[in-house]
Amino acid sequence: MESTVDPITVSVIQHRLRAIVEEMGEAMLRTSYSQILNSSRDFSTALCDPEGRLIAQAEHVPIHVGALPYAAKAVNDFFKGTIRPGDVYLLNDPYRGGNHLPDLTAFVPVFEGDRHVFWSINRSHQSDIGGATHGAYNAGATEIFQEGLRLPPLKLYDQGQRREDVHEMIVLNVRHPRDFRGDLAAMIGSARIGERRLGELIAEFGADVAHAAIEAVLDGAERQVRAVIAQWKDGVYEGEAFLDDDGHKYQDIHVRARVTKRGSDLEIDLTDSHPQVVGFVNSSFANTQSAIAVALAYLIDPDTPKNDGTFRPLKVKLKEGTVVWARPGAPVTLCTNHCAQEIMEAIIRALAPACPERVMAGWGRRFRIAIQGVDPRTARPFIWHLFQSRPGGGASVAGDGWPCGGEWQAAGGIKFGSIEVHEVRFPLYFRRHEFRPDSGGDGRYRGGPGAELEMVVETAEPAVGNTAGDGVKYPSCGMVGGKDGKPHSYWLESKGRPDRVLKTKETGVVLRPGDVLHAYSAGGGGWGDPAGRTKEERTRDVDLGLVTEAAAAAGRG
Amino acid sequence: MYRIGIDVGGTFTDLVAVDDKGRVTLAKAASTPQDQSLGVMDGLDRLAEALGVPRAAMLKETARIVHGTTVATNALLEMKGARVGLLTTEGHRDIIEMREGLKDDRYNLRMAPPVQLVPRNRRLGVRERVRADGRVEIPLDRASLDRAIETLKRDGVESVAICYLHSWRDDRHERATAEAVRAAMPGAYISVSSAVLPQIKEYDRVCTTVVNAYVGPALERYLTRLETRFREAGYAGPVLIIQSHGGVATIAESVRLAAGAVLSGPAGGVAGSRYAARLMQHGDLIPFDMGGTSTDISLVVGGEAAIASDRRLAGQRVALQSLDIASIGAGGGSIARVDHGGVLDVGPQSAGADPGPACYGRGGTEATVTDANLVLGFLDPDNFLGGRTKLDRGAAEAAVDRVAKALGVARMEAAKGIARIINTHMAEGIRLVSVRRGVDPRRFAILSFGGAAGLHVTDVARQLDLSRVIVPRLSAVMSAWGMLASDVRCELARTHIGDTSRLDVAALRAAYRDMEADGRRRLGAAAFAGEIRVERSADMRYGEQIFELSVPLDGIDLDAPDLVQRMAQAFHDRHEALYTYNLPDQEPVLVNARVAVIGRLPALPQEPDLKAHAPAEPFQHRRIHLGVWREVAVYDFDALAADQVIDGPAVVEAATTTVLLRPGDRARTTPFGWLDIAVGKGRGVSPDAPA
Repeated sequence: MESTVDPITVSVIQHRLRAIVEEMGEAMLRTSYSQILNSSRDFSTALCDPEGRLIAQAEHVPIHVGALPYAAKAVNDFFKGTIRPGDVYLLNDPYRGGNHLPDLTAFVPVFEGDRHVFWSINRSHQSDIGGATHGAYNAGATEIFQEGLRLPPLKLYDQGQRREDVHEMIVLNVRHPRDFRGDLAAMIGSARIGERRLGELIAEFGADVAHAAIEAVLDGAERQVRAVIAQWKDGVYEGEAFLDDDGHKYQDIHVRARVTKRGSDLEIDLTDSHPQVVGFVNSSFANTQSAIAVALAYLIDPDTPKNDGTFRPLKVKLKEGTVVWARPGAPVTLCTNHCAQEIMEAIIRALAPACPERVMAGWGRRFRIAIQGVDPRTARPFIWHLFQSRPGGGASVAGDGWPCGGEWQAAGGIKFGSIEVHEVRFPLYFRRHEFRPDSGGDGRYRGGPGAELEMVVETAEPAVGNTAGDGVKYPSCGMVGGKDGKPHSYWLESKGRPDRVLKTKETGVVLRPGDVLHAYSAGGGGWGDPAGRTKEERTRDVDLGLVTEAAAAAGRG
Repeated sequence: MYRIGIDVGGTFTDLVAVDDKGRVTLAKAASTPQDQSLGVMDGLDRLAEALGVPRAAMLKETARIVHGTTVATNALLEMKGARVGLLTTEGHRDIIEMREGLKDDRYNLRMAPPVQLVPRNRRLGVRERVRADGRVEIPLDRASLDRAIETLKRDGVESVAICYLHSWRDDRHERATAEAVRAAMPGAYISVSSAVLPQIKEYDRVCTTVVNAYVGPALERYLTRLETRFREAGYAGPVLIIQSHGGVATIAESVRLAAGAVLSGPAGGVAGSRYAARLMQHGDLIPFDMGGTSTDISLVVGGEAAIASDRRLAGQRVALQSLDIASIGAGGGSIARVDHGGVLDVGPQSAGADPGPACYGRGGTEATVTDANLVLGFLDPDNFLGGRTKLDRGAAEAAVDRVAKALGVARMEAAKGIARIINTHMAEGIRLVSVRRGVDPRRFAILSFGGAAGLHVTDVARQLDLSRVIVPRLSAVMSAWGMLASDVRCELARTHIGDTSRLDVAALRAAYRDMEADGRRRLGAAAFAGEIRVERSADMRYGEQIFELSVPLDGIDLDAPDLVQRMAQAFHDRHEALYTYNLPDQEPVLVNARVAVIGRLPALPQEPDLKAHAPAEPFQHRRIHLGVWREVAVYDFDALAADQVIDGPAVVEAATTTVLLRPGDRARTTPFGWLDIAVGKGRGVSPDAPA
């Protein structure tokens, strides 16, 4: 669609939209209450139109973004005709555009006169959302009802008035009501900032100009992406990636991508993926769409805006009942990491021959543990989530991978807190936390190292841990001839007992006072033929201790 | 007696002498990047010449020299600092390279990791460990320490950073290590984390300590050389260095805390802004310094500059208190480009000074903001920077035409667009320091300085609904004057972490008192004998929050029996003011106690008023493009009379800047010759211009 607005106004409005979503994110970061939001930044801010087309989003958690349009559309469809200024809506159901239950989304409608023209949106990962286990990740779940509180589109504020009954019903069903209240207040504050700023923008430029300019912004993003895709070699490409297991009966669960690239169009066909499984690694439809969008976003130019236009060249084929499109009722909590990352990996591997300079090697998989116990110094209960021991980033044509760069789906967006603060606040002692030698995959450019964490549990009574993750079998993949990194390896050292290897999907792991958690995280994949790595670079790898002399001598460096 | 201010910039070294009557004498010399002290001494010669006295006589009559330097800044920006080694707790040597897990630029996965100031093979673990409560878990192991020191010596390390876990709580291992290094490596620069930043959070501490070690030797060499030259030239008074926090400190203190001088340069401008706030009797200013590649924006509230402690420079974290200056990639040299989607953007890439904008005729071909300004007629090609540089209009037009072609618009539309986009970026920059800090910018006046600011500032003000812009006549004078009026300032902090209900109040009081005594001692060492002011504050947060809020404790008596409750209330109030809500049922946590000990310098005499004369006539008329071409009057800034009124559209030119008044703007000159502009409403284009 050709716009009649001058290109200068279009440019100004594009920059303003970006500033708005960033300001929403900044407010969230500074006011939210839980560790997972203010420290680990697991939230996103965005603007959509009523039909759910993505207008602008801030660069927070990539995996949220492609799913938001489905959520906005679900809210819009449910409440159509009754949406008023001052309303606030919530949703988390993965079968209506949520990613997974802990990702709660707040929607504030933006009005122009009496016409509803936009949604200002904040999606934030809650530290707890009820359900059978603390901290939202229930590896034992076999149906979504064991994973937590499930919210369809619902109205929390009616024309500025909070519906106290609804609010209390939600708060009552989560484990940390104080934190939850604080986080929800911050989410709504953040979305209201977007409402205010978007209103100012419309007032300044006039509604017609603003809308026409936004169409032009979306069209511009589409043109940018198509110009990039058009440079790749046409063809039909295939790629595959595996999950270790689902924690129940399935192992080596595959995601298979068949990518047809013609001109500036991409068709992504995932229909040949593994049938849906028992455990929580299934992906919801919206989450899969999001994972596909992230894969594309990583391959185009990084400064291209991410909006509805960006993803127009994509055509997606999925089959319900597969691990990438689970039927309603299946558990999905791990899906923002796994199988989202396997979806991305299958697509990026498929496209490696088409655009070798653009694909990057695999980043780490997620392996988390949440520990619940009592701090003997204060007699207060605590829940602690492992964010340390970040896995390594994948290498690319630009150079070696980022050390402890993190998971592929977040790519350096997750912060782990200060060890000193952790030791003050939790009965934990961090004995060691350093890079893990020999963990990055070899290649022209080496994968970033993961880490080695040794942490002593100093409770007076046994504590309990739940793990969630994947990747002790499957490592971060090498790309374009580069080698895979080393996979995760976690174990528990307990006096008088043999070491206990931790699986990625366990509930009720007992941690005795004095036990040492060894969390050795995966390194990133290498990029390009290892023969291309220079002698100087190899000497430096050893000097820096990223490759051990033994590994170098054995030719494994 | 004179007071002399010296500001070393990238190209020029500016000097200002102020005598007891407030009379100002200026001098300028070329900067000498290899050894900045040469340019400074050259400048002192010229200053003496301008005063008509021999240099030695001038220096004998000088009571104080205040100096802003970019030596530390440049060492960091150009990665030309010292060869640093780090001694740290065994098992934890990668804290600095793990970056708390974060990476900028989320969607850029084809990006090499940052180059380390201290590569991993010079980060050595020493066997020791202190607990969070100060208990020694593992005593400092001498053998392991000696081995590490040997390795650093062998590796030719000239500067040693020392940072152990929990040294904020107990620094005995760090002190012992420093002694051992001093004994084994005489002459090495030593940077100890518990002395640089005695605060919890190891990433902040180790980064700041390493930056300190990295820039320290260069700053020490420079300041020692400079002091020697001053002494040899006959100057015996104090030499004070502008710090990133906007105060001044002695040479010895600057060398010890070298990381505190990484923003010494821009801090001079902010110091000048505080002075301007006093002079204009308008305490709420937005200093707006637009140069060739970037624009520095900060906030002066009630005459005081905002302070922050979360600065990054050249990708390095410096967690010391510093002026809250937002630097955005928008300047006269910013390059315009059109992306594949047909969207125009300007900056952050810049043509810099070399090759510079296309119109400089030095080989630049890309359209920059300056090219657009020339095409729009805002700049006079024959009288740019007082005629020192001739601009090539043809080259500017050709460059802008390329942008116009890519956009599918006419030349003038493209030029207007470039100006509009850069102004949008700068308006967002102002939002960043104001709105996002919970401050409504509309009651503020923009203080415009830096060569490129005058053409853009009235449009930027319009975009934010601001109604007042102030343009000083000579911003170099303003900066130097501000520097001379800066207080001697000592910032201290100590972590005193805990829930407010469980705090040991006596220990908290003692911590505040100790810091105050320490600050007073340091001021004494700076030979300061005047009035001393003490400001206390506390960094606090709600339990699970991660960002602390800095809460000023003005008006809270340290001896009040309910001290902690009052501090908690001050925190709740501040949280609500900034973030629209607070959580009164939640207990705040105190993290850091802070004290600023401030020695007030005697006030400078006022800048004298202009001599009275008749209002100046425009010296020419020129066609400029404000939607349509219009012939407007052009005035000489230096020729304006006090209280003269100029209505926009008009142009005011000086040797250092050009100011554009848009339709509806009204400028009035102040008694000392500054422009005080009432910004008109509306878009600032001619009424007959097409929308």
